[in-house]
Amino acid sequence: MIPMEMEAESVKPEKSNFLQPLDSEIQRWMSKAFDMALEALENGEVPVGCLMVYNNEIIGKGRNEVNETKNATRHAEMVALDQVLNWCCCREKDPKETDIPLVVYGCKNERFGGCGSVLDVSSDHLPHTGTSFKCIAGYRAEEAVEMLKMFYKQENPNAPKPKVRKDLISPPDGAVVIQVKRGPQDEERETIAPLS
Amino acid sequence: MDECDTWDVLPVLSDEQSRDTELLAAYAAPIIEKRQTSRLVKELSQIHPLPSLQHIKRVRACKDKSTPHPLEVIVCLASDVQVTDCKGVMLTDLIPSQSFDSSGLGVPFLVKIPANPPLTRPQFEKASKHWPTSFHEDKQVTSALRGQLFTADQKAKMQEYMTAAVQAAKSGEEMGMDAVGAVIVDPESEQIAAVAHDCKRGSHPLHHAVMVCIDLVACGQGGGTYDYEKYPACLFNSSETFRNACNGKENGLPYICTGYDLYVTREPCVMCAMALVHSRINRVFYGATSADGALGTKYKIHCQKDLNHHFEVFKGVMLNACEALEKK
Repeated sequence: MIPMEMEAESVKPEKSNFLQPLDSEIQRWMSKAFDMALEALENGEVPVGCLMVYNNEIIGKGRNEVNETKNATRHAEMVALDQVLNWCCCREKDPKETDIPLVVYGCKNERFGGCGSVLDVSSDHLPHTGTSFKCIAGYRAEEAVEMLKMFYKQENPNAPKPKVRKDLISPPDGAVVIQVKRGPQDEERETIAPLS
Repeated sequence: MDECDTWDVLPVLSDEQSRDTELLAAYAAPIIEKRQTSRLVKELSQIHPLPSLQHIKRVRACKDKSTPHPLEVIVCLASDVQVTDCKGVMLTDLIPSQSFDSSGLGVPFLVKIPANPPLTRPQFEKASKHWPTSFHEDKQVTSALRGQLFTADQKAKMQEYMTAAVQAAKSGEEMGMDAVGAVIVDPESEQIAAVAHDCKRGSHPLHHAVMVCIDLVACGQGGGTYDYEKYPACLFNSSETFRNACNGKENGLPYICTGYDLYVTREPCVMCAMALVHSRINRVFYGATSADGALGTKYKIHCQKDLNHHFEVFKGVMLNACEALEKK
């Protein structure tokens, strides 16, 4: 169930023995993922939650813990994958034998998204990296965006200070106005914002 | 020092910077009366503006000095007009005669002009063979492409860091891991912040060398997730001199990998490349390319415009030593 190195040169278009879950099931799992995201928000992390489900069983749960660990790669999925590995280990299952067939997500991420937004790793042919997988995007997307907006309204305590332009512009009345630099790429921003 | 001469460090540029010169067919015509030049250019630009070709110089000095006319002007793009017989084409086929005084202009002929503004000197030189263009040279890119961006001293430093990465790769290999090593360096204090090798054949399938190295930097900053005790060659710098060097800075320890450089024996995969974006890495130097590589081969994550952080990437550092690791 974990996308990883594989030997075959071809990408399997369809995973065998995989039945797409019912809408009601997806909703049930997504609601739990949202709970995880909320927990992240309450802990000062970017509100993303992730659930790994196998045969109707939750085998991994995670939420962002980037600020806590000072490691920018500690995203909800990575945290949940750690638990999946533990689960595999306990049941003596080799994680290499299975790949994740389906990813369901809330909102697209125009800033970083690797499954259809910025890149499309899920369907690209990457024989040395792993197999392709199916993506269902947009489950309760608006809610997910709302939650992210809430986070970015708060200040990210770990983000670098926005650069302030040195040249001060004096308006006629003598007051000093400091202009905050806004690059065309919005590079100074620590947010993944405009997700609409 | 001499060993540095056996490898070249080359920039991994964006597709726009490295693509071949694309050409468009256009009609040009000789300016027979030089005095008419400014009027002709003005009127032609009104009738046939070239809005997407701002880089093209409308008029060129004639290449062949033996021709009677000194200048040639672009009349229009071939795609702007419908011409049935392109050999016997007349000015009247290209310009509605009632709106234009064609005196001073000769018989039009077909040329190829560069479709895109040249971004590098090689692109500029190629483009100029077809038709003159403007060029805003980035001197740093030019010297990087010539392999002259770094001084001998800088290359010696690179060699030192990459040697540490190669050593780590070998230590990992001895433990049954893939022979990949990574080193994260603070270029300001010239100190190594963390050294790692691939651990994915050990405890965790996602513990690629770069991922381990990033987590080790976090460990050095009082964070971190995993314990690498099993792997004695995976280390972070906790020495006093390093801490003092960091504390001496304006803001103490950096925010994740801000300002740090990565040296890695082979080109990172998509996951590792994105991890470097998230970690705000400063520059990446790698040795060998890899088949699904995300910093040049399959993707160019560092040039992806939509991402909120970009960094420079260089390849070829200790190429032979890095490639030798793969071959074993």
